[in-house]
Amino acid sequence: MIGGVLAQAAVPRDVGVFEFLFGAEYWTGAGGILTSLWDTVVLCGAVMIVATLVAVPLATVLAHHGRGELSVTWMVTLSRAVPTFAIAGLLVPLSLRRGWGFEPWPIFIALLLLAIPPIYLNTYTGVRGVDRGVVDAARAMGLEERNVLFQIEVALATSVMLVGIRVAAVQVVATEPIRAFLGGDGLGRYVRDGLGQNNDNLLLAGAILVAGLAALTGAVFGLLRRALPPGVRRIR
Amino acid sequence: MSVFGEARNPIIRWEWIIDEWDQIREALVQHLELTLLSVALGSVVAAILSAAALRFRMLATPVTGFTGFLYTIPSVALFGLLVPYFGLSRLTAVLPLAAYTLLILVTNTLAGFAAVPDAVRDAANGMGLTPTRRVLEVELPLALPYIIAGLRIAVVSTVGLVTVASIIGQGGLGSLILDGLQRTFWTPMTIGAVLSIVMALVLDGAIFALGRLVTPWSNRARST
Amino acid sequence: MRKQFEGSDTDAVSSLSLDIAAGSIVALIGPSGCGKTTTLRMINRLIEPTSGRLEINGRDVIQEPVTELRRGIGYVIQQGGLFPHRTVAQNIATVPRTLGWEKGRVIDRVAELAELVGLESEMLDRYPDELSGGQQQRIGVARALAADPPVLLMDEPFGAVDPIVRSRLQDELLSLQQQLHKTIVFVTHDLEEALKLGDRIALLNIGGVLEQYATPDELLRSPANDFVEEFVGDDRGMKRLALRMVSQLAYDRGPVVDIGIPITEAAKAADAHGTDWLGVLRGDAFAGWVRVDDLRNGDALADVPRVRPAAQVTPASTLLSAMELIMTSRTSVAVIDDDGRFGGVVNLDSIRKNLSSEDDS
Ligand SMILES: Nc1ncnc2c1ncn2[C@@H]1O[C@H](COP(=O)(O)OP(=O)(O)OP(=O)(O)O)[C@@H](O)[C@H]1O
Ligand SMILES: [Mg+2]
Repeated sequence: MIGGVLAQAAVPRDVGVFEFLFGAEYWTGAGGILTSLWDTVVLCGAVMIVATLVAVPLATVLAHHGRGELSVTWMVTLSRAVPTFAIAGLLVPLSLRRGWGFEPWPIFIALLLLAIPPIYLNTYTGVRGVDRGVVDAARAMGLEERNVLFQIEVALATSVMLVGIRVAAVQVVATEPIRAFLGGDGLGRYVRDGLGQNNDNLLLAGAILVAGLAALTGAVFGLLRRALPPGVRRIR
Repeated sequence: MSVFGEARNPIIRWEWIIDEWDQIREALVQHLELTLLSVALGSVVAAILSAAALRFRMLATPVTGFTGFLYTIPSVALFGLLVPYFGLSRLTAVLPLAAYTLLILVTNTLAGFAAVPDAVRDAANGMGLTPTRRVLEVELPLALPYIIAGLRIAVVSTVGLVTVASIIGQGGLGSLILDGLQRTFWTPMTIGAVLSIVMALVLDGAIFALGRLVTPWSNRARST
Repeated sequence: MRKQFEGSDTDAVSSLSLDIAAGSIVALIGPSGCGKTTTLRMINRLIEPTSGRLEINGRDVIQEPVTELRRGIGYVIQQGGLFPHRTVAQNIATVPRTLGWEKGRVIDRVAELAELVGLESEMLDRYPDELSGGQQQRIGVARALAADPPVLLMDEPFGAVDPIVRSRLQDELLSLQQQLHKTIVFVTHDLEEALKLGDRIALLNIGGVLEQYATPDELLRSPANDFVEEFVGDDRGMKRLALRMVSQLAYDRGPVVDIGIPITEAAKAADAHGTDWLGVLRGDAFAGWVRVDDLRNGDALADVPRVRPAAQVTPASTLLSAMELIMTSRTSVAVIDDDGRFGGVVNLDSIRKNLSSEDDS
């Protein structure tokens, strides 16, 4: 009935942690690690894209006009306190009633709510924190308002924004594995199956995979930072 | 979708709440216990780490770095990593939950002490307070609003994470969610999710009220 | 012009009218909050006037597109307001690039400006925070001048640098102005700075009320009212002295002779000038004065007792420094011309005469 939850990872109990992690046969093929990894990456990527598309423009415009200072206070609290599991749990029945299935809408929306606060927060404070003297100087030199916003305010806020996006991405990747307990798959399935089958090796391997992906995500953003134009990169 | 049909599986079936009240109450108590235990353990460790970082400046960066690192470890992974060693025990749940509170608690404590005006510190020294008394009687009270703000966030996020701890069989409101999910029975799911959010709000309010009690001066500053 | 900010029931600047001559420097000064910045920012319409007119070269610019207007007005603020994510060269090139200049022309212009404000060319590739405060301020000026705007606005341009650098930057600005002849309006808190740089000074009072608009000398000589008098202080006589230079005095070489000439010739020279004293030069250097009474036939001029001037000033010295020297020495002060030759003497009398005259600069 709930396929994902009951599905068993086809891993014998006597396979060691390293044997599993370094065995090509466990990575490839249907239901292999690569498939789970891909599931996770696609979901997290989609969440991050939507969260960024929502939070960045909204925060930028509000900060540019100096509106919505209060939203920052809320976001500070929210950015650490979104109960993803509970929210997804609440959404599952609604999703099923609409015929959208267990997956992926409930977890997608819950993760989106998790991702938006840090991105919004950093974008807002980044744009708002740009030295007013610098903005004034830009206007005084006859830059169009649009260019003041993009070439000065957004450019100067890019680093801070990217930090917010990184924090959000790491949190999303770190939280996504609960999807395996909400009727889905993804990288969290090995932990779930390890627990369900009382298979410590599978459990450990799954935990390592999940933690590794989160660490990798943080590292990727470190590299992304290097891709920024040199002037923008040096602003913190 | 539902095999029972919608009429038989509403989002909430109120009789179930009455019938299963004992189960709900047990989940609530477990949830509360796990939250308070974790935050208490986290607070003790955070206090030690903060004190060390305040006393020895060079420790500040490694301490915040370490707590930040802990925070990025996925909860599912951390529970999973500990199960082989501590089994499906309460300890396996409490250790990661406490670890996650460290970042916010330490960061806010350090920020609170950093926000003590130098003039106040000088005045305290000038009055001849010993460093220990200065920290306890002057700096700590002034840092308290920051520490309490950190505590609020720590508690709220822990309440949320305790639901995840249900995957290692530690009960709590998360077990209602899991249970409902496995039986495709919405009432426990909804109850578990809603109650966990309510519990977060109530505890947040309680600490806020407590904070106002112990920092009456910030109270007055706000009302004027 | 008038400005009333939203939510305020009094005017930040009330019916202010200033006529600024092209090519001159006007200093806006007054107590904190009196509306100096507001006035300045109304000129490039960073603040839109509530009412009033703004004319540049007889053209009402309130109706013009604001970006157009601003590209013709340079704006310099405290600490430069430089773009921290752009190199010095990119900062300077901002307006030329906005105006769509071709690349080669922009590069040439940047180099030209760097030289004009005294920046070494290797600094052009640095970022603003890799430079000192004084250097940043120079870049701010260079950036403002980039498209050669006829008007330059400066808001406490040298407020954030230490007094020594400030004084040097002020000198640089004055020498720049000698070459460029911009119309400059600048805000300052520092009366000395206003007196030193301003061709005219507009002294504002709270609410943007114009108390006096006059040349520095006039402001000091005849304050329009008590407020102005108090603002410029009791030592305004001294300040006037600091404004004037020795070159403005009608100083006189008097009778001077070379130390090698026969003593009879020397006596004749004094006679010709009708003085009872005589200046003596050794080569180009001033060797001192001798009294005609001390001249005895047969002596060499070099053996006659000489009174040596205690100090020397140049034509560019202020009357204040000349006077300080006179007060601390017993003699008049010798003036050494720009070419290093003896130019004449300054004494208290000549200074007093000069002060009682109207401003003649
Ligand atoms: N954006 C604004 N909104 C409302 N009031 C303003 C605004 N900017 C300035 N004011 C008010 O207008 C008055 C004049 O301000 P302004 O900044 O022009 O003073 P200032 O002479 O430049 O002072 P300072 O020497 O301190 O820089 C002040 O009373 C100030 O509080
Ligand atoms: Mg000002």
